[in-house]
Amino acid sequence: MSVRLAAVPGLPPLLACCGLLALWEIAARIFDISGLPPAHQALRELPAILGDRGSVLNILDSLRRMGLGFALALLAAIPVGLAMGRSRLVAAFFNPLLMTIYPVPKAALMPIIMLWLGVGDASKTLVIFLGVSLPVIYHSYQGARAVEEKLLWSAAAMGMAAPRRLTHVVLPAALPEIFVGVRTGLVLALITMVTSEMIARQAGIGNILFNSLDMALYDAVYATIVIVGILGFALDVGLERLRSWLVGWATPVHEMAVGTA
Amino acid sequence: MIAITELSKSFETARGAAHVALSDISFDVAEGEFISILGPSGCGKSTLLYIVGGFVVPSRGAVTIAGKAVTGPGPDRGPVFQEFALFPWKTVLGNVMYGLLEQGVARPDAETRARALISMVHLTGYEGFYPKELSGGMKQRVAIARTLAYRPSILLMDEPFGALDALTRTALQNELLDIWERDRKTVLFVTHSVEEAVFLSDRVIVLTRAPGRIKAAVDIALARPRRRAELLLDRRYQTLVVDIERLLDSPEEGR
Repeated sequence: MSVRLAAVPGLPPLLACCGLLALWEIAARIFDISGLPPAHQALRELPAILGDRGSVLNILDSLRRMGLGFALALLAAIPVGLAMGRSRLVAAFFNPLLMTIYPVPKAALMPIIMLWLGVGDASKTLVIFLGVSLPVIYHSYQGARAVEEKLLWSAAAMGMAAPRRLTHVVLPAALPEIFVGVRTGLVLALITMVTSEMIARQAGIGNILFNSLDMALYDAVYATIVIVGILGFALDVGLERLRSWLVGWATPVHEMAVGTA
Repeated sequence: MIAITELSKSFETARGAAHVALSDISFDVAEGEFISILGPSGCGKSTLLYIVGGFVVPSRGAVTIAGKAVTGPGPDRGPVFQEFALFPWKTVLGNVMYGLLEQGVARPDAETRARALISMVHLTGYEGFYPKELSGGMKQRVAIARTLAYRPSILLMDEPFGALDALTRTALQNELLDIWERDRKTVLFVTHSVEEAVFLSDRVIVLTRAPGRIKAAVDIALARPRRRAELLLDRRYQTLVVDIERLLDSPEEGR
């Protein structure tokens, strides 16, 4: 039975969503508090938000900042992580720095960064950048460190010089591990995107969320949370597609065979 | 072809103590010679191969290839490792073509040569497979083809069949000899199997337990091309195997 259910693509997550909505609806009816509207009421707000030009522009604005912070973080973090993985000196330099910054909630830095860069795009993008960078650096580092020495030797014997080995052997060999960091980074990008807008209340989806909260528009609050959730889900699905396209070669054989079983 | 002079290598262990892996190794290898390096595990025989490959720097001594000192890896020496070390993100064809493309060979030419080599190692039909999808024996066939592709004059084989089951191992030994008979490259072959060393080689260098020193160099004057079935019944082959096994068992001098 479970095999047949899993065989219909998209069915298990759909069932999980329906279950969650049902639980929400029941809980709202049992507890009956104004801070927890039933699911159907909150979902009715969705078209209103998504049909409003201002809200959509705000959401797109948030996504633009998130995309920018995320992309810049990947551009900086992957080379740093790979260099750390291949050079003890670089690792010794960056490791204490990272271990100090990693446990600090990036949103907690937001007020300080706002003092430097103001409440605009720069502060929010920087916070997103910091949030995404750390897991990506960490996993790129681990990935580069685990690259089999003999892969590099094989390339060196073909006449490949050291800098080119970094981009042509270490990078692809570490890519499956880098993707683990990128996936975590994507979630953190979404979280820091919302929290940065919660602190620098000026624009964006976080602003919609917390303005609605201030005005006790709980239906809109929950509808916005649902939108953030859907965004996260959609981005993760997209990333997973990209991952299986780029590093499908790393998928264990038994997993690839599942489709035919 | 290869001259190894007074080579020594010591490592620092994790506890900071010095570990002597190789001590005062000297021997020459003639062009086209098939040499096996045999010894108990931990005797530094792989380290010796890595030094000739230019992957590891010796503590003392030198290696010269055709009169030129080894300072690093180069396409004149093609390694084949026990761990295969295939590029997992490349297909069989991509792996075999890799060295050729790296050396600037045009893609169509590289592909033609790679396909010929893939057929030579009996993997036609598997060009589009990724290493993950292959068995150990197939992976090692790909690795051998990948190394042969860029035409090294010396093959450095580091226990290449050590991770394979007995049947595959025998099959690959036969295939390797067939391939070798065609162009008689110089081969340095590290193994801990006496039968394998005697079956394949012109000369077997026996190393002592750590620190690895040369205990003996045994000439294998068996006619070529060699056929496994004939050899196994050959009295001289049997004697050589037994003699070398005794050598390995015998207590070491100076201990």
